[in-house]
Amino acid sequence: MGDLMSWLLSFFFHGSLVGLIGYQLMCLADLEFDYMNPYDSSSRINRVILPEFIIQGVLCLIHLVTGHWFMFLVSLPYLYYNVRLYMRRQHLLDVTEIFNQLNREKQLRIFKLVHLIVLLTTSIFWMIWSIGGI
Amino acid sequence: MGTENPNRPSFPARPAATPFAAGPQPTMPFLSSGPVVGSQASGFRPTPSSTPQAAMPFLSSGPVVGPETSGFRPTPPGRFSDPSLPSVPSANAPPTLGPFQRFTTPQNPSTAQAPPARPLPVGQPVFPPPVQPPAGQVPPVSFRPQSQLPSVPMGSPPQSMNSAPLRANAPQPLLDSSFSASRPPFQPSFLPPESTYPAARANLQPSFPGYPSKQSNAVPQAPAVQSPFLTQQGGYAAAPPTSSPPFLAQPGGYIPPPPVAAPLGLHSREQMQHPGTGPPIGAVQGLIEDFSSLSVGSVPGSIDLGIDSKALPRPLEGDVEPNSFAEMYPMNCHSRYLRLTTSGIPNSQSLVSRWHLPLGAVVCPLAVPPDGEEVPIVNFAATGIIRCRRCRTYVNPYVTFTDGGRKWRCNICSLLNDVSGDYFSHLDAIGRRIDLDQRPELIKGSVEFVAPTEYMVRPPMPPLYFFLIDVSLSAVRSGMLEVVAQTIRSCLDELPGSTRTQIGFITFDSTIHFYNMKSSLTQPQMMVVSDLDDIFVPLPDDLLVNLSESRSVVETFLDSLPSMFQDNVNLESAFGPALKAAFMVMSQLGGKLLIFQNTLPSLGVGRLKLRGDDLRVYGTDKEHALRLPEDPFYKQMAADLTKYQIAVNIYAFSDKYTDIASLGTLAKYTGGQVYYYPSFLSIIHKDRLRHELSRDLTRETAWEAVMRIRCGKGVRFTSYHGNFMLRSTDLLALPAVDCDKAFAMQLCLEETLLTTQTVYFQVALLYTSSSGERRIRVHTAAAPVVADLGEMYRQADTGAVVSLFCRLAIEKTLSHKLEDARNSVQLRLVKAFKEYRNLYAVQHRLGGRMIYPESLKLLPLYALALCKSTPLRGGYADAQLDERCAAGYTMMTLPVKRLLKLLYPSLIRIDEYLLKPTAQADELKRLPLVAESLDSRGLYIYDDGFRFVIWFGRMLSPEIAMNLLGQDFAADLSKVSLYEHDNEMSRKLMGILKKFRESDPSYYQLCHLVRQGEQPREGFFLLANLVEDQIGGTNGYADWILQIHRQVQQNA
Repeated sequence: MGDLMSWLLSFFFHGSLVGLIGYQLMCLADLEFDYMNPYDSSSRINRVILPEFIIQGVLCLIHLVTGHWFMFLVSLPYLYYNVRLYMRRQHLLDVTEIFNQLNREKQLRIFKLVHLIVLLTTSIFWMIWSIGGI
Repeated sequence: MGTENPNRPSFPARPAATPFAAGPQPTMPFLSSGPVVGSQASGFRPTPSSTPQAAMPFLSSGPVVGPETSGFRPTPPGRFSDPSLPSVPSANAPPTLGPFQRFTTPQNPSTAQAPPARPLPVGQPVFPPPVQPPAGQVPPVSFRPQSQLPSVPMGSPPQSMNSAPLRANAPQPLLDSSFSASRPPFQPSFLPPESTYPAARANLQPSFPGYPSKQSNAVPQAPAVQSPFLTQQGGYAAAPPTSSPPFLAQPGGYIPPPPVAAPLGLHSREQMQHPGTGPPIGAVQGLIEDFSSLSVGSVPGSIDLGIDSKALPRPLEGDVEPNSFAEMYPMNCHSRYLRLTTSGIPNSQSLVSRWHLPLGAVVCPLAVPPDGEEVPIVNFAATGIIRCRRCRTYVNPYVTFTDGGRKWRCNICSLLNDVSGDYFSHLDAIGRRIDLDQRPELIKGSVEFVAPTEYMVRPPMPPLYFFLIDVSLSAVRSGMLEVVAQTIRSCLDELPGSTRTQIGFITFDSTIHFYNMKSSLTQPQMMVVSDLDDIFVPLPDDLLVNLSESRSVVETFLDSLPSMFQDNVNLESAFGPALKAAFMVMSQLGGKLLIFQNTLPSLGVGRLKLRGDDLRVYGTDKEHALRLPEDPFYKQMAADLTKYQIAVNIYAFSDKYTDIASLGTLAKYTGGQVYYYPSFLSIIHKDRLRHELSRDLTRETAWEAVMRIRCGKGVRFTSYHGNFMLRSTDLLALPAVDCDKAFAMQLCLEETLLTTQTVYFQVALLYTSSSGERRIRVHTAAAPVVADLGEMYRQADTGAVVSLFCRLAIEKTLSHKLEDARNSVQLRLVKAFKEYRNLYAVQHRLGGRMIYPESLKLLPLYALALCKSTPLRGGYADAQLDERCAAGYTMMTLPVKRLLKLLYPSLIRIDEYLLKPTAQADELKRLPLVAESLDSRGLYIYDDGFRFVIWFGRMLSPEIAMNLLGQDFAADLSKVSLYEHDNEMSRKLMGILKKFRESDPSYYQLCHLVRQGEQPREGFFLLANLVEDQIGGTNGYADWILQIHRQVQQNA
C-alpha cells in the first residue's frame, strides 16, 4: 500500500512538472510567433521556474526516501542541472536577451519534457504494477 | 595548390637564383586567365614546366621567412625611419637583391602577370572559340565594371624578375596575332590540371541572369562567354592600347608591361595607396584574373619577408562605398543607409554554407543624407499609407503596376493589391504610371511617410530630456558639474521640439535631490529624499516641466548648480535609487535620460563593487564575466526603461573603476550610447565634453521609434546586433535614435533554393519626430540573387563585413575569452579565403600566392586592426577594463564609415604643408600605419575619429614647434594644450584640425601632443595604435598575411 502511495505521489508530481514545462514552452512559442511581448513572456516563465525546481527537488527526495533508487538516479542529472543553474543565478530568463536565447531555451525545455514524460510513464507503469500486486 | 603543378618535384631544388632565370614562368600560375594567354604563351614561354617551379620556391620559403623577420624587426628606436632610410624594404634586402635590383620594383610583377595568364586558357579546349573573336575581348572587360578581378600581385619579388623577359615579349598585340596558331599545341599539355575548370564555369554562368543592368552595359557578345573567362579575356585584350576604356572601369585593373603601362589610368589608385613606392608600384592587377593575389614567398636568401610590405593593400583613401550595387539598381537607397555584406544574395543553402563571412546588412536609418539630397516627405493624407495587404511592405520603387493601373504587385511577396481610388493613375505604354515624377515614393529608395493616427498608440510624445547628475565630491572637483551645467544651459535654445520640449533634473550623491521647476516659481525648489530603500517621487507633476514655460527657472537652476554643490564632500553615490526615481518621473512620457556619473554606485540597489583588478581572472573561463553587468538590476532596469520609451546615454567620468560594463547595459538595451572620459579634468576635456554633450542634445532625434527590416520570400533576418532591444523576433525597439547609430543584422535562407532573381530589402523606421509628427522612414534596396560563390565575393562589401565582424567579435567577448573572440575572427577569415582559393587556385595554379577577391582586399588588414582594437586587444594589461567596455559599447553602434576609420586611423604628415605657403590641404595624404612612416624630422597628425594625436619628431625644426606651441615648445607636452597662436603656421594647423573635425562631427577629437621618444605617452597614444606594426606580441601586417596565407594553405 505504501508503495502504491509513493507511486501515486510520483505520478502527480511528474504530471505537474510536465504541466509547468509545457506552460513555459507555450509562453516561448507565443513569444516566437509574436502573440506575446518579451516582458510578459519572461515574467510568466520566471514565475514558474522556482516552483518547477522545487517540485523536482521534492520528487527526487521522495524517490530517495521511498527507496526507488533507479528513479532517483535517473532524475539526478536533472536535479544537478537545476541546482547548477540556480547557483550561478542563471535560472531565470533574461528579458533583454530572450530572443537570442529563444532557440536554446526551447530545446532545453523540450529535452526536459521528453525526460519527464518518460519518467511519468514509468511511474504510471509501476503504479499499475503495484495495484496489481496488492 | 602546389601539388597541382607538374613540376613540383623539381621544386625542392629551388636554388635561389634559378627562379629568376625562369622569369616568365613564375607568373604563369596567374595566367589562369588562360584563354587569352594561350596563344601568346606559346610564344614567350619556352619552358612551361619551369613555371611552376619558380612559384614554388616562394611558397616553401615562406615559413623560413617568418623567424627571420622577427629577428629583423627594428627595435623601437630604430623604428622611425630617418630620412636617410626612406624605403624600408630596399634597405633591408640589399645584399640578396643584387641580381634583381632592376626588377625589384613592384610594378614589374604586374607586367609579368599579364602574360602568364595566358597559359591556362590554353589548357581549355572549350575556351578558344569564345575568346577568339577579337571584338569580344574588349567587351568582356566592360562587363565587370566592379574591380573584382584585378589581381594584386603586388610587388612580389619573383614577378619582378619575370618582368624583364616579359618586356621583351611585351607587345601583346603581337601575341594576339599568333593567338590561334599557337593555341593548339598548348592545350594538350595543360588539360589535366584544368579538368576542374568546366565545373567551375558552370557555376558561374547562372549568375548572370541576376544582373540585368550589367548585361546591358556589356557588349552584346559578352553574355555568351562565361564570366570568369570573360574577365580574363578582357584583361588580356586590354593589353593592346585600344582597350583603354575597360581599364578604367576596373580600378584594380590590369597593368600592361611597363612600357605600355604608362598610359593607362589604372595605376593611379594603386600608386596613391603606396606613395612610398616608385611609380610602377606593385599593383599589377590583371584583369586577367578574377581575383587579387599577393605573393608571399620570400626572395631566397634575402632577410626580408617575402612580402613587400609596401605593396600590401591599405585603405589610404578611406572607406569606399560600394556603388556597383547602386549602378545596378539606381532606385536603391543610398549605401549610407543600408549596406549588405555582399550584394549578391546566395541562391542556395549550400552556397551560404560556403560563404564563411557574415551574411547580412548594416543599417543606419537616419544617416545624414548625402550632400544636396533630402529624404522626400510624402503625406498620403486621405489615402492612407499604401502597403501590401499581406506582408505590410510599404509602396516603393520596385512595385509594379498592372491592370491599367488598378492593381499593384508587391515586390516582396508578389501579392496583387488593389490601388485605392485616390492613388489611381493611368499607365503609359511601357507600364509606368504617368504621375511617376510626382510620386517620390515610386522613384526614390528612401522616403519618409507621414503616419496617420493608426500608427500611434498614444499622442506623439514631446522631446524630453532628463538629466541625472552625480554631484558627489569627485564630480565637483573634476569640474564636470560646471561644464555640464554650462553646456546644457547653452543648448537650451537649440533643443529640438521648440515649445514642446520638456526638461527635468535630478542630482544625487548619497541622497537624491529633486527639483521643482514650476513656471510660477522664481527659483527651483530642491527636495531631498534620503530613504533609498523605498524610493518615492515627492512631487509628481512639476519635476518635469515644459522648457519654454519654465525657461527662467531652468536657467536659474543651471546657473546655480555648480555653486550649490561646491562644498559637497559626499563621496557616496546612490546611483541605483536615483535611476529608479528618474524612471518614475519619466515613465509617463519616455524620452532621453542623460546620466552623468562620476563615482562607483555604492548605495542602495545596483551597488557595484570594484572588480577587474584581478589579473588572474584573465585567460580563465570567468574572464568574460568582467564584461557583463554584475548586478541583474541593470538589465532589468534597461528592459523597463525601453518599455517606457526611455533612452539612456551614459557619460562616465571617473578616474577610478566605474564598471562601465554594468552601466553601459543601460545604454545598450535602450538604444543609447556610452561616452567615457577617463580621469576627466575640466581643463583638459572641457571642449570634448561640451561638444559631445551639445551634439547629443541638439542633433535631430527620432523618438519612441521601432524599426523592422523586411526582405523577400525565402530570406529571413535571424539576429540583430547593436544597441536596441528586440520587442518581437524582428522588431527593434529604439526609444531614441539618431544619425550616429547603426544596426547590423544577419540573414539566413529559409528555403534550400531561392527561385527569385532579386531579393528586396525594406527598412522601415516608425518614429515620432521632434516636431511631434509620427513618421515612417522607409529605405528600399534590391540585390540580385546569384548562384556562384565567385560572384558573391565580387559583390562583397568590406565595410559591412568588417562592421558585422566587429559586432560579432565584441558580442563574443561577452561570453568567451578575448582570445577566443580574436581567434574566431581569424578563423572566419581563413575559412573564407580558403574557400575562395579553392574556387580559383586549381585552375590558376597559383603556387605560393595568396589570392583574395579584390572587393575584400582590405579585409585582412581590418581584421588585424579589429584584433588590435581596444575591446579585443591583448589581455589584462593592454587596456583598462572600463576602456575596453566603453569602446565595445561604442563600436557596437558606429556606422560603417566611422568604424573603419577607428580601425585604421589616418596618419598624415603635415610639416611640409605648414611650411609651404601655397600648399593645399587636399594634398595631405594618408600614410600607412607603421612606425616607418614616422620621420623624425616631421610633424604628423594621427586621427582615429575620436582623438587627434599630434606627433612631433625629434628632429622637427624648432621653428615649427615654436610657431605651433609658442612659449611652451620645450615644455612637457602632456601639460601643453594647443591653441591658436598669431602666426600663419598655427592658423594653418588649426585650420586642418577644424576641417578634420567638421568632416566627422559626431565626436570631438581632442588633441594630444606627443613628442618622439617621450615614453610612455608616445607608446600609449600612438605606437600602440600603429596597427601594422608588431606590438607586444601581436602580428605585424606582413606577418599576419603570412599567417593567414599559411593557414589557408593547410589542407587547402
